[in-house]
Order: sequence, then structure tokens, then C-alpha cells
Amino acid sequence: MHDFSRRNFLKVAGITGAAAFTGIGCAANGVQGADKAHIVVVGGGSGGATAAKYIKQFSPATRVTLIEPNATYHTCYGSNWVIGGFASMGDIAQGYDTLRDDHGIEIVQDRVTAVDAAARSVRLAGGDSMSYDKLVMSPGIDFRYDAMPGISEADADRIPHAWKAGAQTELLRSQLRDMPNGGVFVMVAPPNPFRCPPGPYERVSLVAHYFKQEKPRSKIIILDPKDAFSKQGLFEEGWAEHYGDMIEWRAGSEGGRAEEIDVDNMTVMADSGFERVRADVLNFIPAQRAGQIAHDVGLTNDAGWVPVDQLTFKSEMDDNIYVLGDASVAGAMPKSGHSANNQGKIVAAAIVRELSGQEPINPSSANTCYSLVTPEYAISVAAVYQYQDGAMSGVDGAGGVSPMGASSSVRRREAGYTRAWYDGITHDIWG
Amino acid sequence: MKKSYLYLAGLVASLAMAGTATQAVADDEITRGQLMASSCKACHNAAGAQQGVTELSHFPAEIIASQMRAFRDGDRAATIMDRHAKGYTDEEIDAMAAYFGRF
Repeated sequence: MHDFSRRNFLKVAGITGAAAFTGIGCAANGVQGADKAHIVVVGGGSGGATAAKYIKQFSPATRVTLIEPNATYHTCYGSNWVIGGFASMGDIAQGYDTLRDDHGIEIVQDRVTAVDAAARSVRLAGGDSMSYDKLVMSPGIDFRYDAMPGISEADADRIPHAWKAGAQTELLRSQLRDMPNGGVFVMVAPPNPFRCPPGPYERVSLVAHYFKQEKPRSKIIILDPKDAFSKQGLFEEGWAEHYGDMIEWRAGSEGGRAEEIDVDNMTVMADSGFERVRADVLNFIPAQRAGQIAHDVGLTNDAGWVPVDQLTFKSEMDDNIYVLGDASVAGAMPKSGHSANNQGKIVAAAIVRELSGQEPINPSSANTCYSLVTPEYAISVAAVYQYQDGAMSGVDGAGGVSPMGASSSVRRREAGYTRAWYDGITHDIWG
Repeated sequence: MKKSYLYLAGLVASLAMAGTATQAVADDEITRGQLMASSCKACHNAAGAQQGVTELSHFPAEIIASQMRAFRDGDRAATIMDRHAKGYTDEEIDAMAAYFGRF
């Protein structure tokens, strides 16, 4: 009954839409107003949920449908707190009831399997199709297991990436809990670009926090293909102060580049085979690319990411599709939840203005990333971005990281703001 | 059954509004100040306020603007707002403050 009535509705709605385009019953300027449009948003993470909510804020009469396969979304940010043993999965769980009940967004719990860009419709795994005037895609990331010999996606149930929060987060947490005191936790860090640049280093910090309390003879090794990482000086300062020599970071040019993973022996080969690192718990975070659906629709470049007009986040490949968040190429903006949140607002404004026949606004945007080194010691990086010469660029003189050598009271205040940031941004997105 | 009624209601509503829609949007044009201010709301909202982040809608525009300038110019200490405030011109600060101060 449900499916039948929905399909009938779509048919009728399609006819109405066609009538509007041909000018029948439409306003004199021939522009289809935002009020009559149907915007479909694919993906209910930070980018998609923000776009959906802010389209409704900017233009309450616009019909917005958010398609997300999961009833509960676990944020990747905050998932290291769970892995560190001082937060629960419930603390990082977000739902869609408020977006539906208070903001009037239609929530469809399903997975998009195909997009027909010419017909402006999406197909759902449940069998339905849905037409759109504008499509917003926030597909997040997928992994490039093919970039690492010896391991495949099927191994993730033994060697978690825990880089999409949920069951993978719980798996890594349980492996660390089961690890004996004196064990070795090995992280294989990803190459650039990847979701949440400070994330791997916050993770080892909070694993060290857990070890220090429960398994103090244990060791942590980070094998990194890179020679530098986000907030590096601040992380290393915090590690030395709180964890002594528990954490060993190996740079790519000093044997840190993993070359193969022997899954059965939980061993990582590095440094042209001279180095074999055995792990009791192995966290392999693969190289990344835009979420699969973006590839299926043909929106990606050779590097596996989605090029967009960074003024509006409209896809370079299709005039009616906007792509934001981790999947997009967004100039200087990092792949972070905060970036996705800001981009969601830019997309919402761009769509409402375009449907109203107005030029896009030159956007200004910001990013704030807090990382906990201990539950009471945090460091941050901030930046302000403006659209310049075709790309989102950092504003000169703004932003930067927390000061080196700051007092413990400054670090504690930033730890308080870390939690405030989480509560604030999740309220802005899903509340 | 209930669902199909809702869809039908939506359809009737969208047909009814078809004649007036374009007008309503033009009156409500999104401004650059509004879009920039929406960026602040990632932290500065009701939930952030419960954790000690300033609730901007409690302050008049002049106070918000003067404090942003103080953060930017090094006259007021901060953990992070100094780094953010340096990214905005006087004009941009006033546009954002005007948006918040209205409420």
C-alpha cells in the first residue's frame, strides 16, 4: 500500500513539475521557485543532515527528503573516546526524529543504489524511485584496500579500520580490552588525503590513556606513510608529558611506510621487507576515496574524489547534483565533520538562491578540530576559509593551532570545549 | 493508509502554493551575513551554551561585534576565538553580529 501510493504520488508530482517548467501555472519570470522544488539529500551524516536542515531553515516550504540507510548514525568524531574507554556508543549516536518532527524533513531509511541524472531520479534498494529537482550527495568515504597488498575488506572483521563509526568502533574497543598487559597495538596510518587528519593521532593518544591505566607495560607503534601529521608538535609534546615512551611514531621516510600486511600472522612488512612489525591488536586505516555511489554516478576524478565548483559545491559533472563533505575536493578545507557542516550550509544557500533565480553568495567558512590527548587535555586547530580564485582558501593570518607549552589549565579548558563542540555541532546538525 | 493521505495533502498544498511561491522567496533572500553567521552556530547554539559556549542571541549586535574585534586585535584573551576572529574584516564582523543581534 505504502509503495503503491508513493509511486502514484511521484507520477503525479512529476507531471506537476513538468507543468511548472513549461510555464503553465508558473510565475511570470519562469523561474521554478524554491518553494515548489523537491530536494533529495543522499546520506545523513554531518554534511547531508546539515544541508537538509538548512534548506528547510532558509526556505521552509521547500520539500526535502533525506535518504539514509541507518536509523542511528554514529559520529566518527567522538569515536576515539569510546575506543579510549571513557564514552559509550550511545554518547556518539545521533538520530533523525527531530529532523523529521520539528524541521519537516521526510526521512527515508533506505540505500540509494543508482542515480539517473538525465531523468533526475534516484533508485532505492527497496525498489522505489524518487525524482528530484536538485540532488545533494554527502556519501562520505570508502576504502582503497587494493592499495595495500595482503589484506582485503573481508579482513576488517579481524583487523578493524574503525574509520567509520559503529560496529567497527566496538570491535577495536573489544580487541583492546582483550589484549594482555604488555601487548603491542599497531596502527597503520593512511596516506593523504583522508577523513579527519588529526584523528589517527588522537586515537593513539586515547589508546595510550587506556593502556596507562589498565595495561601499563603495553606499547603503541604508528606506521605512517607520511613524514608529518596534523598538530604534530602538540601531539608529541602531550605524548611525552603523559605517556613517556609508550608511543612510537615511525615516519614514512624512516621505515614507517607499510608495504604488505600478513593478516594470518598479524604482521606488517615495512622498509623494503627489512622491518616486520607484529601486532597484538592491529588497526589498519586504509587509503581512502569518495563513497562508492559517487563513483557509480560518474562524479569522481582520477584520484577518486569529487571535483565541485567550490563556490556552491555543485558537481563539475552535473548541474543538478551537489556533493559535499569528505567526498568532495574542497580546496584547503580538511575532510572533517566541521567542514561538512559548514559546506552543508553553503549548499543549502546555493540551492535556495539558484531555485529563486539569484546569484550564489561568495561564501566564508570555518573549521575547528579539537583532539583529546587525555580526557582532560585537548589541543585544537582552527581556520577560516574564503572562496578565492576558484578554490576555498585559508584566510591569511587567521587560524592555526593551540600554543606549544601552554599550561595544563589551558589544555583542560580546551578539553571542556571539545565536549561543548561535540554537543553544539551535533545539535546544529541533527537537533 | 495514513501515509497516502499525507502524500495527498502534500500534493494539494504544493498545487495550492504554485501561484505564489516565487514571490515568497524573493522577500526572504539569504544574505552573506546570514550565511556567515550560520557558520558560528556550529558551536554557538543552545546545546553549546549548556557547556559554557556563549549564547550569542543573548547579546546585542554591538557587543558581539566589539568582542569579535577585541579577540581579533589581541585585546581579549581566548583559547580559540582569537584564531577565528582574525579571519574577518570589520564589515564581515558587523554583518554577522547584525544577524545574531536581531534575535
